[in-house]
Amino acid sequence: MLLVGLLVVAGSVSVLEFMKLSTSSTSILENNHKSIGASKTMLEALEREDSGILLLLLGKWEEGRRILGESDMMFLEALTVAQNNITKDNEAELIADIQNKYVHYKEKWTRPIVDTFKEGNIDWYQNIAHQEFIQLKKSINQLMTINQESLYEEATRLKDNGHRAVMPSIISIIGAILFSFLLIFYLDQQFIIPLKKLLKAVKNFNQGYYQLQSSIKSKDEINQLEIEINQMLKRARKNDIR
Amino acid sequence: MRLEVVFKILGFVLLFNAVFLFIALMIAYSNQESSLIPLLFTTLICIIFGLFPMVFAGKHESLSFAEGIMVVVSGWVITCVIGMLPYLMWGGEFNLIDAWFESVSGYTTTGSTILNDIESLPKSLLFWRSTTHWIGGVGIIIFVLLILPHARNARITLLNTEMSELSKSNFHYKARTTIQILIVVYVGLTFLETLLLRLAGMSWFDGINHAFATIATGGFSTKNNSIAYFENIWIEVIIMFFMLLSGIHFGLIFGTITGSRYNIFRSKMVRSYVMIMFLGIILVALKLFINDFYSWSESLRFASFQVISVGTTTGFATVDTAIWPVFTQMVIIYFTIQCAMTGSTSGGLKFDRVYLFIKSVKKQVRLIKHPAGVFAIKMENKTINDSLERQTMLFIVLYVFTFFITTLLLTTMDIDLMTAFSASIATLGNVGPGFGNVSSMGNFDSLPNLAKFILTLNMLLGRLEIYSVIALFTIRK
Repeated sequence: MLLVGLLVVAGSVSVLEFMKLSTSSTSILENNHKSIGASKTMLEALEREDSGILLLLLGKWEEGRRILGESDMMFLEALTVAQNNITKDNEAELIADIQNKYVHYKEKWTRPIVDTFKEGNIDWYQNIAHQEFIQLKKSINQLMTINQESLYEEATRLKDNGHRAVMPSIISIIGAILFSFLLIFYLDQQFIIPLKKLLKAVKNFNQGYYQLQSSIKSKDEINQLEIEINQMLKRARKNDIR
Repeated sequence: MRLEVVFKILGFVLLFNAVFLFIALMIAYSNQESSLIPLLFTTLICIIFGLFPMVFAGKHESLSFAEGIMVVVSGWVITCVIGMLPYLMWGGEFNLIDAWFESVSGYTTTGSTILNDIESLPKSLLFWRSTTHWIGGVGIIIFVLLILPHARNARITLLNTEMSELSKSNFHYKARTTIQILIVVYVGLTFLETLLLRLAGMSWFDGINHAFATIATGGFSTKNNSIAYFENIWIEVIIMFFMLLSGIHFGLIFGTITGSRYNIFRSKMVRSYVMIMFLGIILVALKLFINDFYSWSESLRFASFQVISVGTTTGFATVDTAIWPVFTQMVIIYFTIQCAMTGSTSGGLKFDRVYLFIKSVKKQVRLIKHPAGVFAIKMENKTINDSLERQTMLFIVLYVFTFFITTLLLTTMDIDLMTAFSASIATLGNVGPGFGNVSSMGNFDSLPNLAKFILTLNMLLGRLEIYSVIALFTIRK
C-alpha cells in the first residue's frame, strides 16, 4: 500500500511540475527572446542612422534623410517591443535610459547638418555625434546581455524543473521493482520453501511411519498444518490398530 | 547465510538514515526549497524498505562472521545509494555518477566534491551533505548497533567486523559499553564544537554543518572557499583543535574526560602522533616563509591548518596548497598517507599502523643481529602478537598496492601524474583534497566519470579497511 501511495505521489508530482513548466516559464522565455530580437534591431537601426549622419556630413541631404527616417522608425518599433517585454527588475530602468539617450542622439541629426558648420566637420562628428552613438550602443548591448543571461537562467531552471519532474517517477519505479524482488524473496522464504518442504515430506511419506519429517522451523500456519497432518496420521494409526 | 537476518539489520540502517533525512526534509519545508520533493521521496523509500524486512524476520540473537561481513559491506553500499538519491533527484550539477561520488565521499568522510558552486545548493541539501559525514564518521553500523534490539551476540560480531583489531586496543570495555563511549564522545564533541563556532561568529547552521564535518573528519563545507570564506582566526583555531582531537582514539578521549589511567596525556602513541604533526607544521611553515609566500605568522597559521586538516583526514582548506612549493606538498602527501589514529573517525592507513611498521622494522634489524633472540613489540604497554603484526604488515602492502593500481588506472585516462597520484591516495585515505586539478580549492568535477567511479571504490575500500571487502568476496554461501 505504501509503495502504491509512493507511486501515486510520484505521478502527481510529475504532472504538477510539468503543468508549472508549460505555463510560467515558456512566457518568460518568449519575452526574453523578443527583447533580444528588439535589441538586435535597435543596434542595426542605430548603425544605419550613423551612416545617415555621415551622408549628411558629406552633403548628401536627400539620401541621408531617407536612411535616417527609415532607421528611426525601425528603432522606435523595436523600442516599443522591448518596452512591452520586460522580464527582469532593472530592465525597465535600462530601457528608459536607452529612450532618453536616443532622444538626445536624435536631436543631433534632426537639426540641419547640410549647409551648416557641421557639414564636412569631422571633429563635430567624432566628439559629439559619434560619442552619443557609442553610449547608446553600450546601453542596448547591456539590455541584450541582461536578456541573454535571463534566457540562460530560465533554460537552466527549465532543465532542472524537468529533471525534478521526472526523477521521482523514475526512482519510484526502480523502487517498486526492487520492492517486488524483496517481496518475492520473502514470499519464497516464508511460504514457497516451507510448502515445498511439506510437499516433499508428504511425497516421501512411508507407510510404515506415522510422522512427517519436513524440517520446517517456522512457527506459522504452515507449521500448524504440519502438526495437524501429523495428528491426523496419529488418529489414522489408532484406527488401524483398532 | 540467513539473508532475512541481514535484511533486517539493513532495514535498521535505512531507518536510521530516514531520521536524518526527515530533519533535512523539515529544513526544506520551512525554507520552501526545491529539494523538498527529493528529500521526501528518499525518506519514504528508506521507511518502506527499512520497515518491510522487520515484518518477516523474527528475533535473532547471533550473527555469523559471514553475515556480519555482509551486513557491514552491504550496509555501507546501501547507505551510499540512499544518500545519493536526494542529489540525483534534485539535479543541478549532479548527474548519476556525481551524485554517487558526493554520497560516497560524504559517508566515507572523504570530503572530496564534484561541486563547483556549493553555495547554490539549498540549505537542506547542504545539511544532508554534512549529515552524511556525521553518520559515516563513527560508522553507520556502530549507530545501528546501539539501537539494535535482541542482538547481544550479533552486536559483538558486527563490532568486530566494523572495527579493526588495533582500533579496539584502547577500549577496555564490553561491546555495548564501547559503542556507548564512541557515541557519547562523538555527540559530545559535535555539540561542543557547534557551540564554540557559534560563539566565534558562525551562524548556527554553518556551525552545525562544520561541526559535523570536523568531528567526522570529513571536510565538506557550506562555502565554496571552505574555511577560507570566514577569514576568522578563532574559527580556524577551534576547527584545528577539534580536527586534532577527532584524529585521536575515542577511548583515550573518554579516558581523559573520566580521569582514567588510559588517557591522552599518558599515551605514547598520542605523544608521537602530535610530535610528528608538529614537526610537519614547522617544516611546511619554514619552507613557506623562506620562499616568501607569507609572513612568518601567516606561514605558521596556514601550515598548521593544512597539515592538521590533511593529517587528520579532514580536508578543510584555508588556502590553495596547489601553488605551494613542492617540498611542502610532499610533506602534506606524507600526512595523506599516514592519516590519524585508529579508534578515531579518520580513515586511511592510520598512524598506529605506521608506528607498528617502524617498530616491526626495528625488530627485524635486531633479529638479523641476534637470530636466536626473542623480541616483542609493545604499543601502549601491550604486547603485539605476531598475528596482529603480520596482519598489519599485510594491510600496508595491500594499501600501497591498491593505491598503485588506482593511480595506474587513472593515468590510463590521460590524467596527469600529480592529480592521479594525489587523488588516489587522498580518496583511499579518506582525506579529500589532493594536488594538481584536485587541490584544496579545486574539485573532482573535471575528472572523467570512470575515474570518479574508481575513486569512490577507493573511498569505500579505505573506509572498510580493505580486509572486509576481500572477506565478502571470499565467503561461501
